[in-house]
Amino acid sequence: MAVEYKDYYDVLGVPRDAGQDEIRRAYRKLAREYHPDLNADPDAEDRFKELGEAYEVLSDPDKRSRYDRLGAQWRAQEEAPGNGDFGDFFAAEGFGRDTSAEFRDGVFSDFFEQLFGDGAAPRASGPLRGRDREAVLELSLEDALSGARRRLSLGDGHSVSVNIPAGVREGQQIRVAGQGAPGRDGGPAGDLYLLVRFKPHPRFRRQGDDLQVDLRVAPWEATLGATVPVSTLTGTAQVRVPAGSSSGRRLRLRGRGLPSRDGEHGDLYATVQIAVPKDPSQGERELFEQLAAVSEFNPREASR
Amino acid sequence: MSARRAGPQWRPGADEAIELAGVARRAGLRVSVVRRYLALGLFEPCAGTSRAPRFDPSSAARVAKADRLRRDLGLNSAGAVLACELLDRIRALETRRSV
Repeated sequence: MAVEYKDYYDVLGVPRDAGQDEIRRAYRKLAREYHPDLNADPDAEDRFKELGEAYEVLSDPDKRSRYDRLGAQWRAQEEAPGNGDFGDFFAAEGFGRDTSAEFRDGVFSDFFEQLFGDGAAPRASGPLRGRDREAVLELSLEDALSGARRRLSLGDGHSVSVNIPAGVREGQQIRVAGQGAPGRDGGPAGDLYLLVRFKPHPRFRRQGDDLQVDLRVAPWEATLGATVPVSTLTGTAQVRVPAGSSSGRRLRLRGRGLPSRDGEHGDLYATVQIAVPKDPSQGERELFEQLAAVSEFNPREASR
Repeated sequence: MSARRAGPQWRPGADEAIELAGVARRAGLRVSVVRRYLALGLFEPCAGTSRAPRFDPSSAARVAKADRLRRDLGLNSAGAVLACELLDRIRALETRRSV
């Protein structure tokens, strides 16, 4: 596969005859802008690596002169029609064909590797732990309650499987050890922190640790009282609707909410919604008409 | 209707406090380097005694961050500590604004 030519002068934004001071100044300025510890943009990390590579080459007189000489030929060859294999060119030159060796965790580009070989590893500055990374983990209320196993892709091509413990709370952080940025020079990798966010639920509304759900009941159930099924996060429960319940009455199902900080659970509130038949049968209609004739109930008066 | 038993609770800071050598190991740095950041006030003991202080394990990430900034931006240690503190302050302001 053809390896793409990199213009290190262009990366740092300096002219080809720039002096060492100018190169260092340009690098420092751009490094402050794109350092992944300072810039949360995910692209900043790649840009910063590119800057480091350019600076590694241009700040070292030996590497710089080799780059100036071979890079120009490389580019000439790249631009020549029908020529895509630079490996042969470098084999003939006797440079850097042995690129199979582990090369600082692939920190630098293939172009750098081919140009300098693995004998040109960047100046080591000693082991150092990698950066911690953060990501938002969106969970359904069900998964938060009962725990789940999730496969997360980390953007850089690999993915990690995470066990989410039962009972996580919104805003909680889950630490996944060793899944942050890789360490330098053999230092330990950073950690990955997952910030838990709850996805909106189609049926349940959330108020802190409590949940709310609508409970649709028939007018006669609401008037006479009934025991009806209500959905909970884990399935269905039976709830007793007391006689004389109007719409808006909240029925509490203790402990059927979300886990709370003290290890207990919030409650589930079922809100009574009186539903009526849209197309009543002849019989139903007659009975409602009788009721209308007999009843002295006026819902617009103060509640009885 | 009884409350379901809660699963294992996961608290960020619930990890045990570690010694300075542990901070150094987790940061990938020598103890002398970590001690310098301690003297500059980058992090503080959270437990133990003054002769055998213990630290929150998150101190390791903090020290490593300071040293990355020091190496990559050509700062000295005090400058790296200042940068970390300013970053904390920015983060606190952003958090407050988004609440």
